[in-house]
Amino acid sequence: MRQLLPLLSAVTLVVIPVVARCGEVAAGEPTAIAVTIYRSPHRAAGALALDNLNGFAFVNETRTVTVPAGETRVRFEGVADGIDPASAIVTGLPAGVIEKNRDARLLSPSALIEAARGTAVTLLRTQAKTGKTVAVSAQIRSGADDGIVFETADGIEALRCSGLAETFQFGTAAGLSARPTLSVLVRSATPLTTTVTLAYLAHGFDWAANYVGQLSPDASTLDLGAWVTLANSNGVGFSTAQLQVVAGRINRVSGAVEPLDMGAPIWARCWPRGSTSTGSALEEFVVTAAANGDWEMKTLSSMGGMNARALTVSRSVELEQLGDLKLYRVPERTTLASRQSKQVRLLDRTTIPVRLIYLGEVRDALDNSGRQARRVLRSTNDVQHRLGLPLPSGEMQVFSSNNGATVLVGSAKVRDIAVHEEVEFELGEDANVRYRSYLVDDGPTAAVLAPVAARDVLAATHTDPARAVEVTNGSNAPVSFELSLYLPPGARIIAADAAIDSKNGRPLIRLQLPAHGVATTRYQTIRTK
Amino acid sequence: MRAISSAVGSLLTLLTLLTLLTLLTLLAIAIAIAVPAVAADRDVAVTIYSDDLALVQDHRTIDLSNGRQRVEFKDVSARIRPETVSLTAPDITIIEQNFDFDLLTPAKLMEKAVGRVVTIVRVNPATGAETREQAEVLATNGGVVLKIGERIEVLRDDGLPVRVIFDKVPDNLRAQPTLSVTVNASRGGTRPATLSYLTPGLGWHADYVALYNEADARIDVQGWVTLTNSSGTTFAEARTLLVAGAPGNVDSRRRSSYQQRPTIASAGTESGSRERIGDYYLYPIAERTTIANQQTKQVSFLDVRGVPAEHGYEYTNGWLATSENPQSAKSIYRFSTGSRAGLGDQLPAGVLRFYLRDKRGDPQFIGESRIEHTPMGSALSLATGDAFDVKVQAIVAQRTRRSKTEWQTDMKYTLSNALPHEVHVALLQAGLWAEAKIASESQNSVRRSADVAEWSVAVPANGTTELTASFVTRY
Repeated sequence: MRQLLPLLSAVTLVVIPVVARCGEVAAGEPTAIAVTIYRSPHRAAGALALDNLNGFAFVNETRTVTVPAGETRVRFEGVADGIDPASAIVTGLPAGVIEKNRDARLLSPSALIEAARGTAVTLLRTQAKTGKTVAVSAQIRSGADDGIVFETADGIEALRCSGLAETFQFGTAAGLSARPTLSVLVRSATPLTTTVTLAYLAHGFDWAANYVGQLSPDASTLDLGAWVTLANSNGVGFSTAQLQVVAGRINRVSGAVEPLDMGAPIWARCWPRGSTSTGSALEEFVVTAAANGDWEMKTLSSMGGMNARALTVSRSVELEQLGDLKLYRVPERTTLASRQSKQVRLLDRTTIPVRLIYLGEVRDALDNSGRQARRVLRSTNDVQHRLGLPLPSGEMQVFSSNNGATVLVGSAKVRDIAVHEEVEFELGEDANVRYRSYLVDDGPTAAVLAPVAARDVLAATHTDPARAVEVTNGSNAPVSFELSLYLPPGARIIAADAAIDSKNGRPLIRLQLPAHGVATTRYQTIRTK
Repeated sequence: MRAISSAVGSLLTLLTLLTLLTLLTLLAIAIAIAVPAVAADRDVAVTIYSDDLALVQDHRTIDLSNGRQRVEFKDVSARIRPETVSLTAPDITIIEQNFDFDLLTPAKLMEKAVGRVVTIVRVNPATGAETREQAEVLATNGGVVLKIGERIEVLRDDGLPVRVIFDKVPDNLRAQPTLSVTVNASRGGTRPATLSYLTPGLGWHADYVALYNEADARIDVQGWVTLTNSSGTTFAEARTLLVAGAPGNVDSRRRSSYQQRPTIASAGTESGSRERIGDYYLYPIAERTTIANQQTKQVSFLDVRGVPAEHGYEYTNGWLATSENPQSAKSIYRFSTGSRAGLGDQLPAGVLRFYLRDKRGDPQFIGESRIEHTPMGSALSLATGDAFDVKVQAIVAQRTRRSKTEWQTDMKYTLSNALPHEVHVALLQAGLWAEAKIASESQNSVRRSADVAEWSVAVPANGTTELTASFVTRY
């Protein structure tokens, strides 16, 4: 044993110099990490989906690098898996940054096979009964996609076609790294140690605001609290990082990052393996589980763990203007672990005056089926309404307490709401309030509500039959109802039972219904022929 | 060599020393395998176009004997377009070029062994004892039928382990697709040869980093060339030339003609100092570089500081579009690529990323925009995203029929600004075609084109501005 050890080190010496021609150093561990998370540009509102984080982050970190004189490749290990290599900015290195590289090929079973093709590997055969292993030197002759053909001193054989337990051992990892690694080729006249800043964009992050509203029993005020929920689905964590989130939709055109090559599974496809009893069949089985499948499983299992959210900071985030966006800074440095979601307090406001309104709309002239009304909570985002701060998009849950029991009234998607805007939270439909639109029996004359004015006759107009909308309130509370009328082009209302208001260019009828009440309102339109 | 092998043989029973053994045998084989007779002095030049296409010029020295022979070219792009290959070398005539893609797999190996003799090794599952026999492969249809002596058997019909050993890999089965050229040489000896071909899988684009300084409205722009290689092959120490332009390529599917917001407000007419080839600008990479397979590589090509830039807002409303909620205006940055008060360069197509310093002075990302190949002297107008605080709500207030053929559409635009300073919004009403006339408007518009009317609207700090316009269209 002892005699063999010098031989081993000699072999190691032979293997290593193949890896790099110029010097290669690893940059130090990241310090002073700042992570700014942007939400998915395509998710207009609503909560984030932890298993599919389409937002991204801007990561800024400093590292200490020691380079010798001459050309050196500096490796930055432990960058986020989702790094967009084209976005990486390295500053602080001496003037001679020659190029930046990122290798997408990761260490995987099939990458090992590919890299070992044509070189010597060791074939191990283990006897199932005795456990005895025989090692033979071999050379891989084919690729990993459709079964593996190798050559030994005996001749040409195919892996796992004999029914024996066979596998390969490799001498090196062929310079493949387990994690995506960014490297920079630099040139320095003298040896130096310097602090460099690495900044890059990476996907696999997202954030949303989570609002929780407590509606007063009479639905006149709302207590509103909100969390910033941010999440990282990367396999890399960021310790004691300055965390920030940015509200507002920003353009992201290069979302597609060169995909990482995680390696396909190696299939030991053999020749036809039909037997006299089973007929024809191709035998194949996975020699090595793919890194790919493994990855997904890891993600999934960690997703389960994400449900236990870390409620760490109770201080609210600090808001600042960033160009046309809103930047929220988590006040203390904190650790954003890999595959973790984190919640930080966004805001707390109490007794915001709100109105609960039921909405209905008539779009089609022939639509006379009954429908459920939609509920919205309406307020204005200003100081008078005890708000007056930007409300970033997300999701809202509204609860109400009734006789000590708390019930979920509904949940709403929240869009980005600027100060002074009208705020409407749509809580979904309510089965208790229904409305139905129908034509009023037009009888011999079309004009039911009002006689047609002389000038309208002269203008060659056409009077539509009158329509009625019946609203029923099945709840035991009075209800405010707003009916929006989508009229055909050129049509206008000439007569109506109720006052006609206007919203977003459309006629609007407001109705007040008592508890268990029914209201019917009629209107009539006129059109130019 | 033989000494080492016998040493290995004596160690075989020591299972604990297997790892050492591996390294030993590895070394033995590494020495034993002959290096293929490919010339060492290889010089690769790669010209990469921006449309996922590259011209590879592979200069190597080949050793030919007099007469007709086949030359195999290893390390060519795995995605080579074989029909574009051309080989030039002195004193040869090319007879034919072949691209073989019959790949070596166990099934093919067995198929090609039909009618040949292979060695089978039966392994006793209990003892591990091996029995060797010669067998002729009769058929591989669904299962392998062997003739052993006078018996005919189905391979592994009983499920017991049987190794099948082939003498050699048939010539036309390869681990990867291989290019070969059959040539007739009029003399023997080494000579320089150039193999040139087109291949997809190599591409490049530009990436720009723009840091906007709000205080003095200036930007610093750095440009990086980003090379990507998914050709399946590494090009070592290649001379690399990047061509800013996509030559008409009949094979590639054209990109969708979906109209994005234009980024070039006015195209430039200045010429830069960069090298040109035909209509294309060239971006040579100063040093030889290794473009590894599956690698993204970036090389700097532009660094300009303190270029004046303008920040504004833009909102485009479609014809007859009513928004139920106020919609964010686009945040726009404008600057020139001209030699005076501009970047002073033509910009190859790519992505421009904008950064802005936060209150602590740290740069933050604020959005990005794709740019086309932009001539020098152009005015660029790039949208980075939506403004949180500057919004527009457009409403079709009324449509009335003025006559049998004329409609009047009254539009109301409400512009709101939650920022503590006044902003100017370029409000665009699109979809006018040529026939829409503006009957009345609360502020004068400019007709950018027959299709688009534009108002420059000032919105006071923390305030709103309302704008109305009536359009008359034929129907």
